[in-house]
Amino acid sequence: MNSIEIRELTKEYGRTRAVDRLTFDVLPGRVTGFLGPNGAGKSTTMRLLLGLDRVTSGTATIGGVRFTEFSDPLRRVGALLDAQAAHGGRTARDHLRFLAAANRIPVRRVEEVLEQAGIAAAAKRRIKTFSLGMRQRLGIAAALLGDPEVLLLDEPTNGLDPEGIIWIRELMRGLAAEGRTVLVSSHLMSETAALADHLVVLGQGRLLADSSMEEFIEARSTPKVRLRTSDPVRLRAALARDGFELAAADGGRWTVEGIRAEQLGPLAAREGIPVLELSDERASLEQAYLDLTAGHAQFAATH
Amino acid sequence: MSAALPTVPVLHSEWLKIRSLRGTFGALIAVFVATAGIQALACAAVGQAEAGALGEDPLLGAFYGINFGQIAAFTFGASALAAEFHHGALRTTLTSVPNRTRFYLSKIAMVGALAFLVGQVTGLLTFVLGQAFMGRYALSLGDPGALRAVFGSGVYLTLMALFAAGLTAVLRSAAIVLSVLIPFVVMVPFIIGQAAGGAAEFLPDQAGQLVLRLESTGRLGPWSGLGVLALWAVAALAAGWLAVRRRDA
Repeated sequence: MNSIEIRELTKEYGRTRAVDRLTFDVLPGRVTGFLGPNGAGKSTTMRLLLGLDRVTSGTATIGGVRFTEFSDPLRRVGALLDAQAAHGGRTARDHLRFLAAANRIPVRRVEEVLEQAGIAAAAKRRIKTFSLGMRQRLGIAAALLGDPEVLLLDEPTNGLDPEGIIWIRELMRGLAAEGRTVLVSSHLMSETAALADHLVVLGQGRLLADSSMEEFIEARSTPKVRLRTSDPVRLRAALARDGFELAAADGGRWTVEGIRAEQLGPLAAREGIPVLELSDERASLEQAYLDLTAGHAQFAATH
Repeated sequence: MSAALPTVPVLHSEWLKIRSLRGTFGALIAVFVATAGIQALACAAVGQAEAGALGEDPLLGAFYGINFGQIAAFTFGASALAAEFHHGALRTTLTSVPNRTRFYLSKIAMVGALAFLVGQVTGLLTFVLGQAFMGRYALSLGDPGALRAVFGSGVYLTLMALFAAGLTAVLRSAAIVLSVLIPFVVMVPFIIGQAAGGAAEFLPDQAGQLVLRLESTGRLGPWSGLGVLALWAVAALAAGWLAVRRRDA
């Protein structure tokens, strides 16, 4: 009912294909991270979904319905696309009030979301006096106004201070836990890793990956363990017999590539070699992502 | 089509938008202040000096201030629309009213309704206030054409505001629209004047102001003149509608 369905979505600007036959679903109850290099088509996909740009072909719907067909869209979908998209001459409260009025949202919701976004004290200030972080909070307040089941947030942590970043992370996780559909684009890997359950990755307008965070990283990690031992000489010999190589790492630790902890542990035990520490090393989201998008980045720097 | 007509919530939203912008709401008030204020000042200063001090046509003279009030009407219509193109505010608007035709018609309806309301009050008070200073040359509401001119002046200001609103939807900038329109109504009639063989009477302000004249001399009468201005406004509004519907926001 509240999922986002993208089907064969294509958008051309002149001769450039910003989005190229994209198909994926965004499901409720989890935070979906929307990743991709600059120009990969993330923002364009969101704009097409909201009917701000006209699709060249394909469809983008919410619960099977085009966004432009909703008569009370703020109650269905909360969107933060561009925190600058507000007239600077209005106060924050007036900005939210005209949005609320258009969808018959009671005025008390305006006060609630101002409070929730932490800008109630600035409600009477003109938006042009706002910092980027405050505009971002106003944009999030607007997205929450109609208490929607679906949230689309494009780079929501832009300009937020660390406290704000933690606030929005918990807000989004909370919204997903309530069964809402949350799609968050970001270019910050550590942030997305801390936030998302599921990933959709674009490169040059095409779908590169659509999988859970776990699978995404797992599929792109080569097995590797990190360990500490009091007898590296015997361990090296034992590993060498099975074709593995013990390599020195920092802090008196060692790493072994191509093997997992559940293989190395029993092997050391069989040989009676003391192992003081043993853990699998997993690739970070960043490594996995860079591995995937290498060659897809349109604007990658040349080294 | 019925799905795209203005609805009460969207009209309410458009009212709040106009009310919350100092420049736009100020321009609406300025329509009254400029028209009635300048009329009263002009009448007080020269109205009793001689017959026809404010022009040969005494009825048109009773609305001398409208030459200034129409600039405020342009500003009101232009800035109400331009506010949507300021920093891409339209994107936020369209997340609350994604049907662009409904959004546009609602905004135009609100601009038109407010301009009409203020225009009618302005027309009546401009006439009454101005004539109060005219002494023995004063016209009264019972004189021929007076009520027609009072009503017509309000419609004139409304159509001028809508004309500017439509152009702004196309050009997306109040500054550009005003720098085109103001010279257009202030100077062009003087320049082409009689030379164009009477084509000047079909210009928006020349045609529209026929409703303020005691007698019209050209091919157009008071109502057909206002009709010509209405056609200009409708053409601009239609072009604006196409632009709002077609463009990526």
